[in-house]
Amino acid sequence: MRDYQLSRLFFDLQDPAKAAEFRAARAPVLDRYALKPEVRAAVEADDVASLSRLVNPYLLRFYFLVAGMPDDEFLRRIRATGADHG
Amino acid sequence: MAELAGVYAASHGPLIIRKWRSVTPGHQQALGSAFAELGRRINAARIDALVIISPDHWVNFFIDNLPTICIGVGDTHGGPNEPWMMEEFPHRTLPGHPQLARHILDTALESGFEPSVSHRMILDHGFCIPLLKAGIAPLPIVPIVFNDIEPPFPTVARCYAWGEMLARAIVSMPGDMRVGVLGSGGLSHSVGEATMGLIEEEFDRECLAHFQRGDPAGLCAFLSQRLPLVGNGASEIRNWVAAHGVAGGRGFELIGYSAVPEVIVGCGFAAWNLGTHG
Repeated sequence: MRDYQLSRLFFDLQDPAKAAEFRAARAPVLDRYALKPEVRAAVEADDVASLSRLVNPYLLRFYFLVAGMPDDEFLRRIRATGADHG
Repeated sequence: MAELAGVYAASHGPLIIRKWRSVTPGHQQALGSAFAELGRRINAARIDALVIISPDHWVNFFIDNLPTICIGVGDTHGGPNEPWMMEEFPHRTLPGHPQLARHILDTALESGFEPSVSHRMILDHGFCIPLLKAGIAPLPIVPIVFNDIEPPFPTVARCYAWGEMLARAIVSMPGDMRVGVLGSGGLSHSVGEATMGLIEEEFDRECLAHFQRGDPAGLCAFLSQRLPLVGNGASEIRNWVAAHGVAGGRGFELIGYSAVPEVIVGCGFAAWNLGTHG
């Protein structure tokens, strides 16, 4: 299942200008998307496991690159979802 | 009529650019040699236009409108817009070949395919890493996007049939020109999934053996069963299958294969045997 608003956010953040704005201050950018409260909370918490269930895996990977999470940390967190997903 | 001058395949992956300095010297040598040999063959084939089949990595399309197959029919395409590609790739635009693209489109429609079209397609790293790393001399590009990224995917058999149609389109293209085809992507890899970083080398080698032998039916059966199990990036092997169809299911010569953990991709490079021009 894809969460459209979250997917839209991740897609839009591929634009370097929007990505820079997001890195500087997340809240004003997130305010522009009709994210469900639990989805917004997952973004704010960098909750890789929760977000991975809602978007295309490539968009997820691009987003955390844009958001500034180190590659090794993203790899550690996404691999940990294997147990979560069963 | 135009001539099919060569059919090729190559892997791509962002880390081949972003993390090249982190790739071990041995893997740098293996990848560098394979890309160089691919480029040598393509440049030597004196190709007038190159058809490249690659996925769109969320650059042109989104889930509100996601074509299964799209042909770039413009006279100009946009270069890659990923910031890390823009640092390395020297061109902001690439020339198209609208006449060939339109002929492929018409042939597709007459053959029971309904591709979408783009009059200004952005060619992301899937298209441009092989061009860059193989040192392919600038030439007109006809880009064809296969949706290998977001389900539902085209069936493997349909991709092979697309390749057969593409071959018919090329050899019925009026005029004296030499056309090459490059399938870009694969082999096994996983992006943004729990298996990210894993390379299924055993699968890759078995897959390559199928391609080397020819045997389209066996290849399609093998991939239909195994592709869903070896990482989402392996879906890009559909682009190799289309190239296999272009080559009429003839076997290919493996230029190189390396499972490269540093770029998290099983990297393969190949040129199909086309007889006099293989």
